[in-house]
Amino acid sequence: MTDTFKGSNAPTSTPEEAEFELRAHLGSVWTGGRLFIGMYTFMLASLAFSYFYLRSSNNAQLWRPNHITAPTYYGFFIYALLLLAAILAVYGQWRLRKGGVADWQVAGWTGVGCGLLALFLQIWEFTKVPFYPGSSGYASTFIGFAVMNIGTIVIGTYWLETTLARSLRMRKEIGGKDPELSNNPSAQSFRANVSSMTYFWGYIALTSTLFLFMFYLM
Amino acid sequence: MTISAERPTDTVATSATPPSSGSGVSRSQRPGWLSQHLGTAIILAIVGYAFGHWLGNYISGNYPYIVNSGQNSISATLGLTFGIVGWLLGIGALNYPLAKLVGKSAPDEVEVLGWSKYFRYSTDHKVVGLQYVVGVLMFMFTGGLLAMAIRTELLSPTTHVFGPGTYIEIVSEHGTIMMMMATSLVVGPLGNYFVPLMIGARRMAFPRIEAFSFWIFMAGYMVIFSALPMGGFTTGWTGYAPLQNQNGPGMTGYLLGFAVIGLGMMAAGFNTAVTIINYRAPGMTWSRVPVFVWGILSTAGLLTLATPVLFSAGLFGLLDRCVQTAFYVTMHGGSSYLWQDLFWFFGHPEVYIMALPGFGIVGEIIPVFARKPLFAYKISAAGMIGVALLSFFVWQHHLFQSGINPDMRPLFMLTTELISIPTGFIFLVGMGTLYRAKIKFEVPMLFCMAVFFNFLIGGITGVFLSDVPVNVTVHGGFFVLSHFHYTIMGGLLFAFMAGIYYWLPKMTGRMMNKKLGLIHFWMMFIFFNLTFFPMFIIGLLGQPRRVFMYAQNLQGLNDFASISAFILGASFIVFAANLFWSLWINPEKAPANPWNSLGLEWQTANPVPFHNFDRIPVIMNDPYHYSEEGATALADLGGGATVGSTTSESNPA
Repeated sequence: MTDTFKGSNAPTSTPEEAEFELRAHLGSVWTGGRLFIGMYTFMLASLAFSYFYLRSSNNAQLWRPNHITAPTYYGFFIYALLLLAAILAVYGQWRLRKGGVADWQVAGWTGVGCGLLALFLQIWEFTKVPFYPGSSGYASTFIGFAVMNIGTIVIGTYWLETTLARSLRMRKEIGGKDPELSNNPSAQSFRANVSSMTYFWGYIALTSTLFLFMFYLM
Repeated sequence: MTISAERPTDTVATSATPPSSGSGVSRSQRPGWLSQHLGTAIILAIVGYAFGHWLGNYISGNYPYIVNSGQNSISATLGLTFGIVGWLLGIGALNYPLAKLVGKSAPDEVEVLGWSKYFRYSTDHKVVGLQYVVGVLMFMFTGGLLAMAIRTELLSPTTHVFGPGTYIEIVSEHGTIMMMMATSLVVGPLGNYFVPLMIGARRMAFPRIEAFSFWIFMAGYMVIFSALPMGGFTTGWTGYAPLQNQNGPGMTGYLLGFAVIGLGMMAAGFNTAVTIINYRAPGMTWSRVPVFVWGILSTAGLLTLATPVLFSAGLFGLLDRCVQTAFYVTMHGGSSYLWQDLFWFFGHPEVYIMALPGFGIVGEIIPVFARKPLFAYKISAAGMIGVALLSFFVWQHHLFQSGINPDMRPLFMLTTELISIPTGFIFLVGMGTLYRAKIKFEVPMLFCMAVFFNFLIGGITGVFLSDVPVNVTVHGGFFVLSHFHYTIMGGLLFAFMAGIYYWLPKMTGRMMNKKLGLIHFWMMFIFFNLTFFPMFIIGLLGQPRRVFMYAQNLQGLNDFASISAFILGASFIVFAANLFWSLWINPEKAPANPWNSLGLEWQTANPVPFHNFDRIPVIMNDPYHYSEEGATALADLGGGATVGSTTSESNPA
């Protein structure tokens, strides 16, 4: 999602038109953030559908021979990191609304660290799985989940990192003020982006919980 | 502050940005052949492909299953993936996402002058729209040539031009290219160009995502086309497993191509939907939104929500090929039916992704040439939304023959039949508009009339096909083939042509030659029907799809269809000739509003200024009040200048 406001810059723009475009832009960031979650839901739903489809089919009695699972401690640790990042994102936004800019930034960068560590562990887990990718329906869907989860973590962490990096650079651009608190159009756009990003992290926490149950606990 | 019809005219002095020829512009927009453009994209795509292919071989060249099979899907996948990354890097699509990592802001969206903008990563929706026109015509030309090859082979049941393997590869490539082209045929060119103009916006909500959708769409085209030199694939466009798993590296091109074009479709749908929801001009309530925009919005919804499933299905297929998972391998705990479910969960909404924009075009154009208000406008919009919603609940009818629980068949038969009701709404809206109208049979209108004729045949045969007994009887034959060509080509492609003849004067400032347009229309209409109607009979007589041999007694009908198809193909040469004639050889300047339309897109200057409207219009009415004396004008374009009333029909611009 874009975090800078670019109006049409039409040479004939009036102040009302500039404000109208700003409102449209803020609405777009809000709508886009939610629509992106809808889009992502359909993608993850196709994985969940595959999981339950193969589980209920149990073709060749090969859904999950010997009830073998991916390493549970890796799953829990990755989940805990993602949950922590999501909580920090929500907390950071809450503090930001109250004017706690430093709190938001500390929470945000910690969240980025959690995301990167989760990403590393999710990749490393490939070397620790006790099954061949095509050995069962479970093994296949787990590999699919792991690949999708890598994508999810990359997107979430990238979104968080770019928002934080932007806030540091914006301070110079808007005359030394905190973009988190300024009324400048770009700062408003920035805050709308923070809201959508936080929403997405909440969504990551929700889906991670679901997939933790599916792949490690059920 | 709100924008109203009575508004001040002070301008924001600081916001003026002059057209640029270089300074202060992002690298991808900067003129000069040393910056990023199509040429650098091609070079980096080739370099990326070579590197990825080498890397794949380096990583996996010694794996036993790769050595034993002689096929390395990992190197093919990595080659194509790095090729795509190189392509995006070369065109400049990754500049901003990378710059964001260090907190840089988006580059200014400034006007770039000259032809070079069409070969670059432009964020101007009008440029992207025209880029899409060229892109979809490339798809259409390639797919069309393959169709000619198919019909050439079917001229004789005994004398063959191709071997059976080559024939099915051609059929598969034709189907895949055409289906992928059709998903973006209207949303890409006409949606990108005209949606902002029709809703009174100066820009798209996310211009870089819009540009990304086009350039990734073109990357997908090249990936799908690369399947042919990699040995092709023999599954048809549906890619069914287990045949999918047994195919060579060409299948990798198919799966990755679908996933990549899926990304483009999601990006296009996402951006369009957000733009329509948020950037409508003041006064443009939902009951004043042009019906074409309704068509694009419902399509954008489907693109955004159905395509991720295609993306996942393609990803799982690639994992099966590259890392030996078994999503679609029944003997290892997977299921070949899983592919069918995922594919058709996208695939059936895709049918409406193709149909709905066509309905939108027809709904937009016929009031202009009937000079009557659009009949039952709200029913039309409701019909489109209804079709879009119901399209998610019908996919299982594609599995009637392939192992669905028989108890589930009546449910999906019912939902499939139900969808004909909102489709019928749209049809009746068209008929109601035409009722007692004094129709002007201009070329765009003729194409619209043809849509009704063709879609009636395609739609009614679709109702037949939704019935399980008929479906079981004619499944997999030419009857089905003819049905979907009637709906997709007879519906969408004719509607696209209507849109091109109607809107090209706005896009290019040039009128298309009417005489050549009429020749094109009649050739296309007559020979489309002569090509595909006999195929219903051929299908009922038992000829299966995708098989290059057939019963001797069907040769007469097949030859008739083939010769008709060649003339149908020739009609596109007439279209191409018309384009060259009208745009370059003998250009005729288009009037500002050649069809006397009340649509907002015709009320702005010609050629359309970079910012579309000098002032954001205030919408006061919907654009369908033709021949209604005393109807409120469409919009105030600022300073009290109203446009789009019937009293200004003679020259509203």
